[in-house]
Amino acid sequence: MEYILKNGIVYDPANGVNGEKKDVMFKDDIIVDSVSDNAKVIDVTDKIVMPAGVDPHAHVAGPKLVVGRLYRPEDSRRGVTQKTAIERGESGFSIPSCPTTGYRYSRMGYGTVCEAAMPPLEAKHTHEEINTIPNLDIAPLPLFGNNWMVMEYARENRIDDLAAFCAAWMKISKGYGIKIVNPCGSEAWGWGMNVHGYDDSAPYFDVTSRQVVTALAKANEKLNLPHSIHIHPNDLGHPGNTGTTLETLKSIKDIKKSTAPTASKRDQTVHCTHMQFHSYTGTNWKDAGSGAPEVAKFLNHNKYVTGDVGQVTLDETTTMTADAPMEYDLYRLSGLKWANKDIECETAAGLIPCIYSPKNPVNTLQWAVGLELFLSIDDPWQVCLTTDHPNAGPFIRYPRIISWLMSSPRRMEMIENREVHKWAEKRTTLATLDREYDFNDIATITRAAPARIDGYTDRGELTPGCKADIAVYDIKPNEFDPSKNPEEVEKAFSRALYTIKDGQIVVKDGEIVSTKPSHTIWTNVTGLEDEEARIIEEIMPFFRQYYSVKWNNYKVHDHFVPNPIRVDVPIRQ
Amino acid sequence: MKTITFDQIKTSSIALELDELNTDAIYTWTEDDFAKYNVPIGNSRFPITDYFKITVEGEANSPDEVKMIMNGDMGRVKYIGFRMSGGEVIVNGNADLHVGAEMSGGYVLVNGNAQAHAGREMSGGKLEIMGNTKEFTGASYIGEWRGVTGGEIIVHGNAGKQCGECLTGGNIHVMGDCDILAGIHMTKGTIEIDGNVNRWPGGQMKNGNIVIHGKLGRLLEGFVENGIVTDPEISGKVYPGKYIQYTGDIAINGKGGLYIDAEKNRDKLSAYSEGNDEYISLGDY
Amino acid sequence: MGGIRMSYEPPITDYDHIVEDCTCAFCGCNCDDLDYLVKDNKVVAVRHACRLGASKIMEDIDQRLLVPMIRGDDGELEETDWDTALDKAAELIAHSIRPVFYGWSETSTECMKEGLELGEYIGAVLDNQATICHGPSLQAMQNAGYPIQTLGEVTNRADMIVYSGSNAMNSHPRHMARYAVFPRGYFRKRGRFDRTVVTMDPKFSDTAKMSDKWIGFEQNGDYGFYNAIRAVLKGKKLHADVISGIPKEDIYELVEQMKSAEFGVLFFGLGLTHTLSKQRNIDIAIKMVMDLNKDSKWGLTPMRGHFNVNGFNIFMAFETGFAFGVDLSRGYARYMLGETNTIDLLTRKEPDVFMVIAADPGAHFPNGANQHLANIPVIQCDIHWGPSTELADVVLPGSFIAVECAGTSYRMDGVPIYMRKAIDKPATCRDDEWIMRELKERVMKLREEPNVAPKYVPNPAAE
Repeated sequence: MEYILKNGIVYDPANGVNGEKKDVMFKDDIIVDSVSDNAKVIDVTDKIVMPAGVDPHAHVAGPKLVVGRLYRPEDSRRGVTQKTAIERGESGFSIPSCPTTGYRYSRMGYGTVCEAAMPPLEAKHTHEEINTIPNLDIAPLPLFGNNWMVMEYARENRIDDLAAFCAAWMKISKGYGIKIVNPCGSEAWGWGMNVHGYDDSAPYFDVTSRQVVTALAKANEKLNLPHSIHIHPNDLGHPGNTGTTLETLKSIKDIKKSTAPTASKRDQTVHCTHMQFHSYTGTNWKDAGSGAPEVAKFLNHNKYVTGDVGQVTLDETTTMTADAPMEYDLYRLSGLKWANKDIECETAAGLIPCIYSPKNPVNTLQWAVGLELFLSIDDPWQVCLTTDHPNAGPFIRYPRIISWLMSSPRRMEMIENREVHKWAEKRTTLATLDREYDFNDIATITRAAPARIDGYTDRGELTPGCKADIAVYDIKPNEFDPSKNPEEVEKAFSRALYTIKDGQIVVKDGEIVSTKPSHTIWTNVTGLEDEEARIIEEIMPFFRQYYSVKWNNYKVHDHFVPNPIRVDVPIRQ
Repeated sequence: MKTITFDQIKTSSIALELDELNTDAIYTWTEDDFAKYNVPIGNSRFPITDYFKITVEGEANSPDEVKMIMNGDMGRVKYIGFRMSGGEVIVNGNADLHVGAEMSGGYVLVNGNAQAHAGREMSGGKLEIMGNTKEFTGASYIGEWRGVTGGEIIVHGNAGKQCGECLTGGNIHVMGDCDILAGIHMTKGTIEIDGNVNRWPGGQMKNGNIVIHGKLGRLLEGFVENGIVTDPEISGKVYPGKYIQYTGDIAINGKGGLYIDAEKNRDKLSAYSEGNDEYISLGDY
Repeated sequence: MGGIRMSYEPPITDYDHIVEDCTCAFCGCNCDDLDYLVKDNKVVAVRHACRLGASKIMEDIDQRLLVPMIRGDDGELEETDWDTALDKAAELIAHSIRPVFYGWSETSTECMKEGLELGEYIGAVLDNQATICHGPSLQAMQNAGYPIQTLGEVTNRADMIVYSGSNAMNSHPRHMARYAVFPRGYFRKRGRFDRTVVTMDPKFSDTAKMSDKWIGFEQNGDYGFYNAIRAVLKGKKLHADVISGIPKEDIYELVEQMKSAEFGVLFFGLGLTHTLSKQRNIDIAIKMVMDLNKDSKWGLTPMRGHFNVNGFNIFMAFETGFAFGVDLSRGYARYMLGETNTIDLLTRKEPDVFMVIAADPGAHFPNGANQHLANIPVIQCDIHWGPSTELADVVLPGSFIAVECAGTSYRMDGVPIYMRKAIDKPATCRDDEWIMRELKERVMKLREEPNVAPKYVPNPAAE
């Protein structure tokens, strides 16, 4: 089928299109530069047209999601809706059910989400959930930062072996890239401990975070992976952690990025996730302040680093992360119900409900730090819009964050009307930042930049040949001032006029009109098969002895990934 | 004032769900509106007039001006008074699950027994049950740590397990006996029990008060005895008589108050013991 | 001659091939190291399984349901063909008002998917054995929290294991042998000798016999006992000399031991979930484990009894947001204790059609519940005759998951395992997944979908 979206105002930063009136054409599932006269016309005159949203980091599918849903029926009941002819009943606010997740992203005009953490032992579970989420393409990131084998290779500086291991494990778990969470810390949590700072070692394994992270970064580049290492640094949420964050980023500076074509989409060698949680100064929550200026400055001077913000939305939400010791600390602070899951030889996860109150000084500080980061990082290509869903807030708040970024008056109103605590003014520079994002910037941080950072070659842009993943929003940018109308901005971005996924219209006027099964994006390194086999053989005695499942049952079978988008990455290019 | 009378014609073994017919929804309704309404029963709907003869008299401009009278055994009619913000509901018979749940105002009277979840998550208004209630009276939703936040629940008969669980405000008065774990996890509000309590009231309570006029079976270790108090004043109300007062639940550093009738619970008093600081001398009583 | 003669069974040598690394389809240990020795499409021997797991396979043909049946007017079950049986079952479901689909814990998640689609369509209540088993654990977890770990973590790190209200030696025979106590872990290379095992149970069970310490608190004394432990952890001196039958000195000693463990794990079972305080027992056990994390490192795991009971809860959670007792009758998911659980529904005599799949309520439900089951149409989808077959009006013989049919299950600690197929099913049986799909398609032809909202209505609480 051919379509032509006529007369929209197009924002396609990857192609330098900034608010130009032009037609966008697609045929079947691909964007094309011309169509026949039979093409169906969709009149989007003067409305915003962008590529569909790309979320580079959210927790939407996997074991800890289920722990969250199992233990928070009060969150599930919050979002319940009745089924319709097209949609199943929804449930959940901060932890939506799988169908709900697909519908809500779709309504916002999103088409791709990166599932930020997948434990290889339970990867099948992640994939079962991905298969239950409609309308999205999902790229799961397997966890490597606390894996016992990874720690051994890192300590011994066996980069080639580590690379073969990562390649093999991405195949086994059907994962997309290399995710690192609180390296060495979640292993220390196996004994109820944590690591502090970048040069602290994991007990018994006697390897530091620095060693693990730099080794993985080297392996990542050796493998020519489309995405860089994706790191959640140590000391998340601790006042004074800015130092650890910058140390972590600095340690990657001299690692050369792969020059292979498969790695050429991105510029970075390290993507730092939910930077907001890693940008605090001070020594405790009484004297805590914002480290955002320092972190932003670092990114401004170092193009090899990208990040996503993890913006706090001031909601009651659920935190869930592989940084298990941090979750326990939150439990000690709040006393709310805490959940934890340690996974043998690989990683750990923790969860706890969190109420981010605008009346609370610390929560306001967190909210302000996130906005400061957005507004102080000069190049929108280096920064992505996320809330580390659901940790800093549910993903349905992305439109609200967009409205904040586009309206300095709104931000000032929140500060001056005391909608938020006065720490916003006193402990951060937010009140002095009057920069406003425009639609082009928004298109960059919610589509073009995440796609480039993740290394996708087929989305995040309206280039002919790319997927027909397109969103249309009910705003006429030439007659509309987002700075004065934050509510309209939020409303429009919450309910896309059209969401098109692989050329199929899935949302119209903010309602789901059709659904399609999701795809799973995973990376298949080729040319390293012998090394991978050798590594596996070497690991086998360990595996047999210390894992509680058999090797034959460990992998993710092909049928768990019925709709793969397999990204082949040859070792020699 | 509009009076809507439901006279029962027949019962159903599969419960009717009345959540769509609270005073807020029906204060403008006429008999014709009811004649058109199909009530959910299981996965289906049936005309409500198959089950009730409904008469409407008078006018109302708001839920506050509505009086709903239900005559018959509502033992299979769930959600009576659900989420109402005003008005009166009188049930002349038993009520099923969730009577008065999530109500924020008004008055619900059950001249009979109620089932589980009576008054669940109330925030205001008054719920009065002349008979007995079952589990989770005035409790929270499973998983929620915030329960009833306001209003008043009065049970003339006995209350089931976990009455007032997660109480976060408001008052509950049980005139009969209370089953185990009353006031578990409460953080605010008062539970008064005239009758006996078999075991473990106030488990993991953080704050709030429980007053027991009858005999308490078993007390949790998490409660520290402070001695005997006379005519204590709790949240502006004076409770005449002598009570053994406890603070707890220590297991969570709770500062809640538990008061049990001193006469009836003499066996709980710790004797004055030389050299044993934590036991407090009581003097004559 | 006298003397004791050990019975000796010579190893089976007459087999065609071995299917390795199969998964046991019995308890929640889901041991995935089973080898099936196959001859002529029959399993003639099993290696590595415990008695429970082995018996299910070796005794399978005894009491095996092989042919669809419908109960005639004379009250007897009569054999019939698949179409007739499926049509009859579909008719019952299509015209029901309060259908309950119960069981699921011994079938695959692939089958659950079809069953849920049917349940969502017709507006049924979907529930599983958790409702009579670890439901209180799930409820407690919903109130208190859930600090758990995979079984391999226990093997590698744990130096103190506590079984409370669980007689693992009888209910999960390889739990101690393969996972928790005997194996040589990475940090526990001496295996059993590197661990302290404590059983807390009113009964001196077989597990207690194998433990280093047995604490026999009195029946129904669980909550008070755990509360005392928590009070001691907070530094309080105990008032009573004896709490729930245990002298306070023993409690002090136990607490010291637990605090000084490097990695402790509490495994608990129905002894906790079904005594007086039910879910509040688990609630407080969870809280106790959380308290212990202040001084030490502790986790817990409910000893799930079936190989996919956890799988159903996980599956329902990611599909609907709720773990069990999910009422879809109004076109959206509801979960409410006392209202949407099977036993409560049956005791209130509400269900008018009951489908039991991969479960045996006839054997396990309280009498009051079964009395109602005897009065309503019951559809059974199972592989074995059981008390539920006596209650069933339509019997649909399924296939043996993990032996005759592959499928996904979730172990008690949430680890997903794809159970492989080793032999073909009997020609007259069908895969559970196929049966559910057929039912679903037939029901859809018989009745228009109820409770479909004409348009999407957002929930303001989710905005």
